[in-house]
Amino acid sequence: GKRLTDMPSVPQELVSKLLHLHFKDKKTKGVFLYLSSPGITAEAAIRSVRQAQAEGLAHVDVEQLEKVLPQLLLDF
Amino acid sequence: MMEEEEWSEEQQRFSYLQRLKAAVHYTVGCLCEEVASDKDMQFSKQTIAAISEVTFGQCENFAKDLEMFARHAKRSTINTEDVKLLARRSHSLLKYITEKNEDIAQLNLEKKAKKKKKLEDENRNSVESAEAGVEESEN
Repeated sequence: GKRLTDMPSVPQELVSKLLHLHFKDKKTKGVFLYLSSPGITAEAAIRSVRQAQAEGLAHVDVEQLEKVLPQLLLDF
Repeated sequence: MMEEEEWSEEQQRFSYLQRLKAAVHYTVGCLCEEVASDKDMQFSKQTIAAISEVTFGQCENFAKDLEMFARHAKRSTINTEDVKLLARRSHSLLKYITEKNEDIAQLNLEKKAKKKKKLEDENRNSVESAEAGVEESEN
């Protein structure tokens, strides 16, 4: 399959803002190097596609995502 | 008066949240586009929105874990070790880190090879001129 590093990544600044949203301590900071990775997003997308393919569909709907979601959340 | 200020602070935070969510939604949309075109499939709008929700939710987990890891190491700055610890269960993140490291290693190898070649060329030139000098002095 496609290399993860070839996929579009989340802009570093957005990652930083998202994380800071949830930090309890105002002093927390850091360089979040690898977190721009496609990560769970790509995994959710790919697994949903596989589910749709397995069902013989040409379209990925929420039903397919719902089926792959439990295992996805466990794996992450 | 005080209540109004609190309310407008609430509103600001809410709209900030909305903007972040919108940014995530856009990025997720782009990513899904990639996957979809790669596999010749189509995502419904609801599916992209749902994946976006999952992504946003995971950020919260990541943030809290990272903060805890750093705090556990008595730091207030999160570093790469914390991220790697986070990645121990996430197969995808680990794979990404490995790929990134491979790319960096490959780049370094190429840099070294270039440097080595440059040095060799320079050495060869200086050796040749030294040998020429020796021959002359032996004569």
